[in-house]
Amino acid sequence: MLASILASGLAVGAIYALIGIAYNTMYSTSRVMSFTAGQLGMLGGVFGSLFILRLGFPPILGFFAMVACCALIGVITEFVAVRPVLKSLDQHLYVLSTLALALMIQQVTAIEWSTEPQPFPRLFGASGGFLEEKFWFPVVACVVTIGGLELLYRKTLVGRAFLAIAEDNFAARALGLPERNLRIASYALAGAIGGLAGFSGGQLLLAFFANGPLLNFYGFVPVALGGLGNNRGAVIGGLALGIFQQAANFLVGGIFSSVAVFSLFIIVLLIVPQGLFGGHAARRV
Amino acid sequence: MGINRRHFTFGSAGAIGVSALGFARPAIAQTEPIRIGWLAALTGPSSAPGIGFNRGVIYAAEAINAAGGVKGRKIEIITRDTQGDPTKAVNATQELISQAKVHAIWGPTNSGESLAVTPIMARAKMPNIHPCVVDTLIDERRFPNAFRISPSNAQWDDAVRNYCLAILKLKKIAVIGDTTGYGVSAVNASVAGFKKDGADVVYQANIDATQPDMTPDMLRARNAGAEAIVVWSVSTGMEARMMNTRAAMGWDIPFVGHPSLSSGEIGSLVEKPANWEKVYAVGYRSCSYGADGKLPAKNQALVERLAGKVNLQDTLLWWVACGIDAIDLVAKAVEVTGSSSSEAIIGYWNGLTKYEGYFGNYAYSPTQHNGYPVADVVMSAASSAKNGTFALAPGYSG
Repeated sequence: MLASILASGLAVGAIYALIGIAYNTMYSTSRVMSFTAGQLGMLGGVFGSLFILRLGFPPILGFFAMVACCALIGVITEFVAVRPVLKSLDQHLYVLSTLALALMIQQVTAIEWSTEPQPFPRLFGASGGFLEEKFWFPVVACVVTIGGLELLYRKTLVGRAFLAIAEDNFAARALGLPERNLRIASYALAGAIGGLAGFSGGQLLLAFFANGPLLNFYGFVPVALGGLGNNRGAVIGGLALGIFQQAANFLVGGIFSSVAVFSLFIIVLLIVPQGLFGGHAARRV
Repeated sequence: MGINRRHFTFGSAGAIGVSALGFARPAIAQTEPIRIGWLAALTGPSSAPGIGFNRGVIYAAEAINAAGGVKGRKIEIITRDTQGDPTKAVNATQELISQAKVHAIWGPTNSGESLAVTPIMARAKMPNIHPCVVDTLIDERRFPNAFRISPSNAQWDDAVRNYCLAILKLKKIAVIGDTTGYGVSAVNASVAGFKKDGADVVYQANIDATQPDMTPDMLRARNAGAEAIVVWSVSTGMEARMMNTRAAMGWDIPFVGHPSLSSGEIGSLVEKPANWEKVYAVGYRSCSYGADGKLPAKNQALVERLAGKVNLQDTLLWWVACGIDAIDLVAKAVEVTGSSSSEAIIGYWNGLTKYEGYFGNYAYSPTQHNGYPVADVVMSAASSAKNGTFALAPGYSG
């Protein structure tokens, strides 16, 4: 039982963590919590199944086509749902605009794809037990993503520009950084990361239009637990959430496991409101 | 001579008196088409049954009209696509009753829509026949105009319980459903039924249909000693995951339950075809083939007549057969009573003791509008689809 909890808990947790990273990536350059993150995960599975199973692309080509499509959806999000409301961030209009876009994405997928779950291809050949790709692939995708982001942020000029924008938008612009282009790029990156979450978890979640709200919800928990904007916190929070949720599934059953997860979530936030790894923000006075 | 108030009053009273004496109606009523409203979900996410029913409806109407109609009156089908949306169904029902002035309504074909329109039809005393399974849709006192042409949820439940207890001779049952309103109520009803019949319900659960891993619940069911798992869900993804988990656990107990267990979607979701074996879904004797690969004689002949005219490859025979029966039942009521009035049609249906249709043999009375015989609800081998029909599950005599 322990092996089963760990295998599927880590896999699901890695998917949640990737969605959490997508939330953070969009937030870092725009200060907007975009509720399209879960839909990007859903689309990763749908595009993967579409390109590889339905259109017959080789898996690697299907993967890159999926990444490109999800990145494009990320960019569209920036143009349609984020940019128009940036001037009035304090009114939190982005909640409405991003939720509306998320709903549109879900409805279009239901109409054009299917309202029934569709199969997702096995990418790495047959295996068995806990070595199934559905268990290890999301974890590997998560590790590669967090490693890649660390490299991007620490070793490249573009990455440092991202950090500068995230740290102080006005100062970065004053230094001549192309803030708007960097924001578009960050939404494209978030689209790719969200798509990777759904693609790597395709065997577990299937290509199903209704996965979006689920991922939106559970992907947000690690962001809150780990601290807004903190990718390492999101990964730890996501994995902990996955294992706790799976343990609750084993111990108390389906319906009550959701209650257990959200009870823990509320308790943690009551004790540490800024998240487990979030720092107190300094405020100039 | 001018018309004064007294003349007008006498004239009106005379006209009312004459009509009350029951003089023959104008000849137009005897020759006008028999208008049947058809509330069909032909597009949208739950359109597959509607498309199947529609093929039967069109076939039946064309067959009757080609044979000269009903006492010279043609059948006119007035179709309204509700898209599975209760709001659209309500609007369409009101339009069919008040504008199109139909003589009877067939449909809607899903319970959500039917719950919304049944009271409207009852107020208008509109003869209504539908295939929706929710038990409360049939209430002979509140809805004396509504008749069910298919089994109710309770009859599905009876058939599943009978198969587990009497045919498979299993006593330790796990009952699992999804977390939708339907899943929760179906599980509760099923558990109560099994307990009433002396079975040991060793495990009961409702699972979120999007839960990626079914291992926890399946393990708990196995640890509790389940000999069969009864499934009440319309989520093919959840059902396929359960089948894959059963195989991964090396467990081979039967799954018995909801018709969606035999949905074609499952075939693409199970990891290997063998995972879909030992799965038995609710089906119907009239549309199930036996060990010889043949349907009951009447429907074998129907399938041969439908060949080349009605496509059965992408639908279910029972949907088509049910559509044919619904139109035939209205036509027969007009033929026997010579009238298309509400009272005549409802009165005829209330007196049916054994109407031999293609989907089933129906019997109605003023106090029983669930007309489908429970003995004709059987279990099908879920993975055995062939031309819209299924093989009888093991244990039934062909």
